[in-house]
Amino acid sequence: MPLNRGMMALAVAGLAFAALAQQSGSPAPPQGPEPNASSASPRRQVDESALRYFASQGDTRRVDAEIARLRALYPDWSPPADLSQLVGGGGVVNDPEVDRLWGLYTENKFSEARAAIAARQAADPQWKPPPDLVTALDVAEARKRLVNASDNSQWRTVLSIATETPSLLTCANVDSLWRVAEAFAKTDQTGRTRDVYTYILTNCANPAERLGTLQKALTLLDEAQIADLLKYERKSGDYPDDFSAIRDELARRRVARASTDPKLTASAEDLAVVERLAESGKEPGNALLLGYYSYHHKNPEKALSWFKMALDRGGSEKAAEGYALSLRDLNRLAEAEAFAFEWRDKAPENMQVYLDVATALLSQDPPPRLDPKVIVRVIPAVTKARSAGAAQALGWYSYNTGQISTAREWFEEALSWKADDEPSAYGVAITSQRLNDRARFNAIVSQWRSRSQRIADLADGIVRDRTAQATPQPAPSSPVEPQVSSPRAAAPAPELPAPPPERPRRIEETRVAAYDRLVVQQERQLQGKRPAARRGGASRQACTTTRDPGSLSAPAALNLGWCLMEMNRPLEAAAAFDHAFTLGSPAQREDAAYGKSLAYLRKDLTGKAAVAAAQAPQTSARRTELSAAILAQRALAAYRDGRWPDVILALGERARVVPEQNDLMLLRGWSYFKLGRYEDAARIFRAVQQTGYSDEAGAGLSAIMEITGQVRQY
Amino acid sequence: MNAVVRCLSGSVLLLLLMAGLTPAARGATMEPLKITGFVSSADWEAYRTRFIEDTGRVVDNANGNISHSEGQGYGLLLAFMAGDRLTFEKIWTFTYTEFLIRDDGLAVWKWDPTATPHVTDRNNATDGDILIAYALAKAGAAWQDQRYNQAAQKLAKAIGRATIAKNAGFPFLLPGVKGFTQADRRDGPVVNLSYWVFEAFPVLATLAPEYDWSGVWREGIVLLQQATAGRTHLPADWISIHNRMMPRTAEGFDPEFGYNSLRIPLYLLRAGMADMDWLKTLRQRWIVDQEGVATVNVVTGEVKERLTDQGYMALSALLACALDGTKVPDTLKAFNPQFYYPASLYLLSMSLIGEKYPQCL
Repeated sequence: MPLNRGMMALAVAGLAFAALAQQSGSPAPPQGPEPNASSASPRRQVDESALRYFASQGDTRRVDAEIARLRALYPDWSPPADLSQLVGGGGVVNDPEVDRLWGLYTENKFSEARAAIAARQAADPQWKPPPDLVTALDVAEARKRLVNASDNSQWRTVLSIATETPSLLTCANVDSLWRVAEAFAKTDQTGRTRDVYTYILTNCANPAERLGTLQKALTLLDEAQIADLLKYERKSGDYPDDFSAIRDELARRRVARASTDPKLTASAEDLAVVERLAESGKEPGNALLLGYYSYHHKNPEKALSWFKMALDRGGSEKAAEGYALSLRDLNRLAEAEAFAFEWRDKAPENMQVYLDVATALLSQDPPPRLDPKVIVRVIPAVTKARSAGAAQALGWYSYNTGQISTAREWFEEALSWKADDEPSAYGVAITSQRLNDRARFNAIVSQWRSRSQRIADLADGIVRDRTAQATPQPAPSSPVEPQVSSPRAAAPAPELPAPPPERPRRIEETRVAAYDRLVVQQERQLQGKRPAARRGGASRQACTTTRDPGSLSAPAALNLGWCLMEMNRPLEAAAAFDHAFTLGSPAQREDAAYGKSLAYLRKDLTGKAAVAAAQAPQTSARRTELSAAILAQRALAAYRDGRWPDVILALGERARVVPEQNDLMLLRGWSYFKLGRYEDAARIFRAVQQTGYSDEAGAGLSAIMEITGQVRQY
Repeated sequence: MNAVVRCLSGSVLLLLLMAGLTPAARGATMEPLKITGFVSSADWEAYRTRFIEDTGRVVDNANGNISHSEGQGYGLLLAFMAGDRLTFEKIWTFTYTEFLIRDDGLAVWKWDPTATPHVTDRNNATDGDILIAYALAKAGAAWQDQRYNQAAQKLAKAIGRATIAKNAGFPFLLPGVKGFTQADRRDGPVVNLSYWVFEAFPVLATLAPEYDWSGVWREGIVLLQQATAGRTHLPADWISIHNRMMPRTAEGFDPEFGYNSLRIPLYLLRAGMADMDWLKTLRQRWIVDQEGVATVNVVTGEVKERLTDQGYMALSALLACALDGTKVPDTLKAFNPQFYYPASLYLLSMSLIGEKYPQCL
């Protein structure tokens, strides 16, 4: 039956009634005497009705048994002082049947007690069961029903039982009171819940139950209501309360709220409480809280140490997330990446943090020197998560380390994941321009001109002050830059093949990527080969204006040549070298021939380079080097033109001069592939795979597998 | 509606018209069962000691020793029939404190001694509630116990309020408050025809006259007619009455005339509806074709499991007795309770024979 307002009022009134009965000491339902303020122990209220009955019957045996039973149940209980007065008195006729009934009651055998009463009444309609006993049974059954209803969340039943049996709502039945309070809360009457708890704190003495009441309040009431209840803390007397754990918890909650909201601050006292709890405990929770508080309130140093504590205590994903974020805020990006990598798979948030940290790491300007391991592991995470931001960072990193084609691939990938991302589009534009891909450049520009000032500027040839991300370095930073794999080549070989139309393009891309990389490398190698003595600031200034070398001396002409090489004006450099050649000493002629050869190589005039190289005798080192360079260049040119047999020939010749490195081997592999010589191609790819470049080689092997339907396992 | 009325036999029609009239008028044409006095103390002792604990918990020993509201209901009813006030009170106390705790006043249906809390399904099972209310009413009246009378009335009102629903305007019984309505299931409403304890409805009508118990009774008969119109003439245990004129097996349930449905003839006979045509169909299968009481696939007619416990055989013996006057075989007269459910069916069947068809004994 739904509980209406009237019954609700009755329920509360019932509480008030019980309170009155309690305080006035009136003999309503059987209760123990008032808790005596001057007595030694806080008298727990225990149901002594059976005990009194046995005493009034003079049944000392049963009295002793009942005392023992109650002592066992309630260790801090002692028999009432007035018991001896009852013994033997009362003048009630001894009824063994009634004795037995009380016995059943004390053993909680309510069904049997009721049954015995019913049977006795059936046999003897005049007989009436003792009212005390019936009331005791009523209350005991009501208590049981209340517990069952509460265990099964039947709140209205709980409240109606409380209304019908107000004698349950006393300090002898704090558990019932708690359940009634919960029923009020679960039916949206938290004010009544607070009233019940207030009643307990005002009237009931047992310290454990008092503390328990506050703990229940923590789960059901809000902070203001709990603060109200804390006022009932008994500070004096023989058994004072200690509600400090409750206050600690409230402080903790305030800090918790502020820990995720930078706009909220927690008081110093509250923070001190949580710090104390964190330090004295073994759980990670409080350390975690303080970590996030510090992190969100601009104190990453402190945050880091709290997160470390949380981690040491087994704080797992959340602690790891915070730790990585703190390292990032402290700009310790390499550490952050390494740490976040270990945790990336634990939860989606951890993966996101890893990507954020990796992006920050890669986006640094100037680009940091990174362990190749780092790049290798960043890439799969980025690909799997389809993170446009991280892909972009990879793009810029590649760009800043001279891997233009790879950079473009990453920008394209980023754009494919997030079509409206302007920075990615800008990256595509700038790399397309560098790679001289007019078609792609124009396409991007036409799409983005209206949306992006800087892309429009690119098209119009205006050079503005570029941001750190966009500044390309004309000279490569170091020869040992880790190679960034292109995104397509990074797709792991075991993956199922993509739908056919896309595939051929991917193979082509990989092939082109291999070539591109080689070109860049060749350039760099050639640039690095300049004799050291020729560098210097003066030479740079010396050749910014066009000069006719005809008037120069041999050394000056050589200087000019090297300067022009640096300015990437190889034809003019060749002319300068030529002049130096005609004038110079044998040593100078060797230099000049060498320089001219390099210049022609730079200009991809391999034939002329070969001729120049032969013009003067070179040291064997330079001879080897020039041959290797020339043959490599020939191979590259043939590759670009699709003259596969020429690639193979040139590389074969070159391999007799210098050991063949991996990227040229790849070129050879692709050339075999194109010629349909899949066995040879596979052999080469496998060899490359074992020495590194496994992604590239893997792509080649996959391509073969796709075409031939199988790759021989080794 | 007229077509339905024409289908029903004369005495049933009379009974239907009687339902809802004053007890005196009803008494003039068809005696409601006394039900007490026809369970021997020996038989009752056998049942009680085997299935009822001192706490008043009725134990279903074929079902993990759980208790349910149906078992408490049968226990109360049989204790009353045996005149055992003591055990009735025990069972009632247990039922009151452990089962009757729902906010809507109905009983939870499932109680497991090994679980904490013990109630493992808070939904009600309407036949359990009906049996409990019926038994309380009978006992309250016979023993003049106000507590029972008041409890019976409270429960009857709760049943009427929460479990009688309307389908195309006709009142029917929800098997449980949760899970069987049109809102709960695509094929809802879903009913269980064996939850119609027909003999209880007139009693509930006196306790809670504001509800249309006779309408519920009528609809039970109509649905039974419709559900047995198919090839096998057997109703599935759980049927969807989404289309009232074409009941089908409920989705997710076996198309089986099973343990639930084989109580239907018992309830029909206990409510005096021996003339129902469908009982003849059942007799054909159980007795004439010598199939015996069995669980049957209602689509194919295939027998799934022949049931040999004497409790099930008692159902068949009751049918044979009521329709043909066939005597109960001597072998069946010795009560040998093994399992709670067939043992309950045995006592319910045999006590009816004792009261209404003593010539079969």
